[in-house]
Amino acid sequence: MRTKQKQAAVVCAVAALALFMLAGKIAISNEEPRYRVEDGKVDDNIFRGYQAYTRACMACHGPDGVGSSFAPSLLRAAERRTFAEFARTVAEGQEIQPGQVMPSFSDDAFVMEHVSDIYTYLSARAAGDLGRGRPQRIEEDE
Amino acid sequence: MSTIKHCLTVVAAVALVSGAAQANENLLELQDNSELWALQLGNYAGNRHSRLDQIDRDNVQDLRATWQFSTGVLRGHEGGPLYVGDGRLYIHTPFPNRVFALDIEDEGRIVWMYEPDQDPRVVPIMCCDTVNRGLAYADGRLFLAQADNTVIALSAEDGELLWSAKNGDHTRGESMTMSPLVVNNKVIVGNSGGEFGVRGHITAYNAETGEQEWRGYSTGPDSEVLLDPETTLMMGEPVGEADLGVSTWPEGEWEIGGGAPWGWVTYDPELNLIYYGSGNPGTWNPAQRAVDGEPADNKWSITVFARDADTGMAKWVYQKVPFDEWDYDGVNENQLIDVEMNGEERKGLAIIDRTGFGFLLDRETGELLVAEKFAPETNWATHYDMDTGRPVVDPDYSTFTQGTDVNTTDICPTAMGAKNMQPSSYSPDTGLIYAGINRICMNYEPHEVEYTSGQPYVGATLTMMPAPGDNGMEGRMGSFMAWDPVAGEVVWEVEERFAVWSGALTTAGNLAFYGTLEGYVKAVDIENGDELWRFKTPSGIIGNVNTFQHNGKQYIAVLSGVGGWAGIGLAAGLTDPEEGLGAVGVFSALEDYTKLGGVLTVFALPD
Ligand code: HEC
Repeated sequence: MRTKQKQAAVVCAVAALALFMLAGKIAISNEEPRYRVEDGKVDDNIFRGYQAYTRACMACHGPDGVGSSFAPSLLRAAERRTFAEFARTVAEGQEIQPGQVMPSFSDDAFVMEHVSDIYTYLSARAAGDLGRGRPQRIEEDE
Repeated sequence: MSTIKHCLTVVAAVALVSGAAQANENLLELQDNSELWALQLGNYAGNRHSRLDQIDRDNVQDLRATWQFSTGVLRGHEGGPLYVGDGRLYIHTPFPNRVFALDIEDEGRIVWMYEPDQDPRVVPIMCCDTVNRGLAYADGRLFLAQADNTVIALSAEDGELLWSAKNGDHTRGESMTMSPLVVNNKVIVGNSGGEFGVRGHITAYNAETGEQEWRGYSTGPDSEVLLDPETTLMMGEPVGEADLGVSTWPEGEWEIGGGAPWGWVTYDPELNLIYYGSGNPGTWNPAQRAVDGEPADNKWSITVFARDADTGMAKWVYQKVPFDEWDYDGVNENQLIDVEMNGEERKGLAIIDRTGFGFLLDRETGELLVAEKFAPETNWATHYDMDTGRPVVDPDYSTFTQGTDVNTTDICPTAMGAKNMQPSSYSPDTGLIYAGINRICMNYEPHEVEYTSGQPYVGATLTMMPAPGDNGMEGRMGSFMAWDPVAGEVVWEVEERFAVWSGALTTAGNLAFYGTLEGYVKAVDIENGDELWRFKTPSGIIGNVNTFQHNGKQYIAVLSGVGGWAGIGLAAGLTDPEEGLGAVGVFSALEDYTKLGGVLTVFALPD
């Protein structure tokens, strides 16, 4: 997990994302997120997205992306926001209402590496393809 | 104007003249005046009991709201109003930590308001909402622990800032949420940030100048914990070994070892000891806190400390959960109660704990006298070994035994605790403790996490579900109970739809009061829990119900405003564990009942 190579790759990915954002375009911004859910089981992207979400976002946005008294539902955000908008908010943070602070994750390599997985996970949840709770991976138990 | 007000003005004036007057003398006087509510917990012992009896079982159904006041702040409102006899209510808010003095005789007109200037970057490092548990008062001064680690003293008269002191650094994940306690002219306050790898500490500031007088850490060498292994007791014997706060951790881990004492502090003036609990240890992944692959005690996290109020030296310690594997944060209030046990009078200390156990300790020596489950679903430990004072952990629910990246399922209670910070009440008339309870369990999956200063240092993900249905509380996530602290038994219990996250109050009117997450304030019969009165406030209640008497009239007052960890966890409801994959939130969603917004409601009987 924590090899130097991986770290370097992450830094590059973040830099690339930042560049894309500066240029105002993200390669996959207009595409529907692609994922696979079979018999309620999910592909690796969704699973990694679930893990990253629960580690980095759940404390504020509530379990399973549903929102909380502290921060809005991200299912709604995944439906209404393009990936570019979503990724920009995660990287830059946001404070529309005073005191309602979405932190910037641009320095958090783990999160920046997984933004697209998180978006995919939330999109699958928002589309109703995936319920609440910890999903099982397609390879698991097979 | 009432005579009390004049009398108090004189007392305050005398105190100011004499200068060196001990703040606790003033507070001792105030707490003995049953008309006042001068401390967040009602008195130094933390009993949240009032001897007022104008509102009683027979007339409580006539209780009505006399006025309401919106604080203009949306986040979760914990704590409650103070009444010190000067015709005003003093209240506070979560971040931005406004302080209001409200005129009781003018239905809440704002006499003054104070709003500190704080860096909003502190907001995202407050793990579970930007709550604050309220003001402290002594000798004409109000004390507040701001989110950004500034302790301040305000003149109660006009809200003028008298001094401020820096207690920590939010860029390293430290914050403050607790209500300070004033003892012997010292303001005692602890830090928050257990989910950010802070090192917990409790500090005493001079109430007049703001100068730091002592600081005791929760981890590290004895010299910094303020502990003497030869004299500090543990289970009635000297601790013995030196620097356990270092040796019971992997190399250096104690420096980010948590143990933040963010809960309530109580005080025994006769013993001159303060009591509080330290929080969870560093990361929630127990494997990263093991030494040589074996569980290590991670001292002094999740520990009850009894400290000398003047020097901070630990008189005794009791670690409720050595080597935490569930985030059973040990900060719950220590109620000081005098009990009779086996025909002997004992100075007791009772805890309705996060762990699901109700403890009774001897508050002079720290010996464990009672440890029994108040939440029957509790399964992480079968029982406590009364000789060693240690829990006997069930390996099926040990997240360390099950391992990193393994999802240990159906652990009860949840990390929120069978009871969280909501302070309980003790009635000397019945000898029972009254407390709001959470009936929620969890799955817990630890994972490797690296420490980065100022970033979350959690290392476990968890999912929550209601406690199993065979407790006769199908689909219910909370209750309000009466607990016998000596027998270690629940005497009665009433169910609630959601976890009960408000502080309890009992009165000599034979009533117990509490608030619910939907927003009801309820009064129940202290004898059996029968509901006698309810009122729906505009938002869910995580604050405390307080009472006082002004100009001959008894009032009940409560801050509502949903939020806190309860608001984050329960907003959209919980899932049914039986439903497995694809479960929807079948258990009631809090967001169907209430929305944000801080409001103070003041109740009285009609004239
Ligand atoms: C410390 C609390 C906190 C954490 C942690 C957090 N958020 Fe947020 N987030 C917020 C708040 C509060 C808002 C609303 C901000 C506002 O209203 O301006 C928000 C807003 C957002 C939005 C905009 C929503 C919309 O409708 O446009 C997105 C997207 C978002 N967060 C994604 C994430 C992701 C992804 C993570 C995890 C990597 C995360 N957040 C972690 C508090 C948090």
